[in-house]
Amino acid sequence: MMRRARQRGHAMIELAVSAVVMVSCVAGTVQFGYTFYVYNQLVTAVGNGGRYAAMRTYRAAAQPDIEKGNAAIRNMVVYGDSRPSPDAVPQVANLKPEQVQVDWVMDESGKPAAVNVSIVDYTVDAAFGMFRFTGKPAVEYPFVGRFAPAEREP
Amino acid sequence: MRVRQKGFVLIAMSVAMVVMLAVMGLAFDFGRIYIAHNEAQVFTDAAAMAAASKLDGTDAGLERARQAVAKLPMRWNLGTKSFTGVVVEFSPDKRSWARVTAPDNQVEITFLRAVGGQPVLTVPAHSVAAAKPVRLVE
Repeated sequence: MMRRARQRGHAMIELAVSAVVMVSCVAGTVQFGYTFYVYNQLVTAVGNGGRYAAMRTYRAAAQPDIEKGNAAIRNMVVYGDSRPSPDAVPQVANLKPEQVQVDWVMDESGKPAAVNVSIVDYTVDAAFGMFRFTGKPAVEYPFVGRFAPAEREP
Repeated sequence: MRVRQKGFVLIAMSVAMVVMLAVMGLAFDFGRIYIAHNEAQVFTDAAAMAAASKLDGTDAGLERARQAVAKLPMRWNLGTKSFTGVVVEFSPDKRSWARVTAPDNQVEITFLRAVGGQPVLTVPAHSVAAAKPVRLVE
């Protein structure tokens, strides 16, 4: 009788110890697995947006035209579409166009030479704890599109 | 009865641990491998485009193309490592296309190594770009 009771206590302690190990392993797996999955999606999104930016016509009649072009690039990163419908769903969970940064690299003559697309201030909302990405993932594409300094964005 | 029960948890735990390591390896290591591959692919895509845009049929053009590839600031391994050993090749006429290969991106394996995986996996990527691209977007 005495012995049985003592064994049951043993089992409880063993369960407690192994549960701590098991649960933390599962939690870590979920956490990192999901974070890597989201990061991979971000790499793809930024790469696609960068290629779109590189091949897009750079219209620069005035500052609002440049802004409009950049907005189209941000939409391409987030929605996979430069002109998304109002109910479009982001390709990456909770990604917003404001979290995409588009920087143009100009050459000496003031023409766009390259475009830099990166993610700023994006937080992965995984099961336990958060990861914040700023400045990465980032891509730089050479500009190979048409430069139209006098044209307006339609 | 008591003698047979002793050590059961130990055996169960060690079997479960191996399975657990394998599952963690699938999530963690494969996650990193896929990211490394994706990062390398995006890099070679951009690099091939950069190289192809500089081609003009001369040796100076090839040199400018190589410099354009070397100048790209992109990194891999979650944006921490620069690409090394990047190979840039060109069409024989020096004006049609460029091919960029990032051959030795070695991802260190963490968990799968514990269950018999290899310690390092090389994740190469390559891209080809034409010098006169068909412009599909306006």
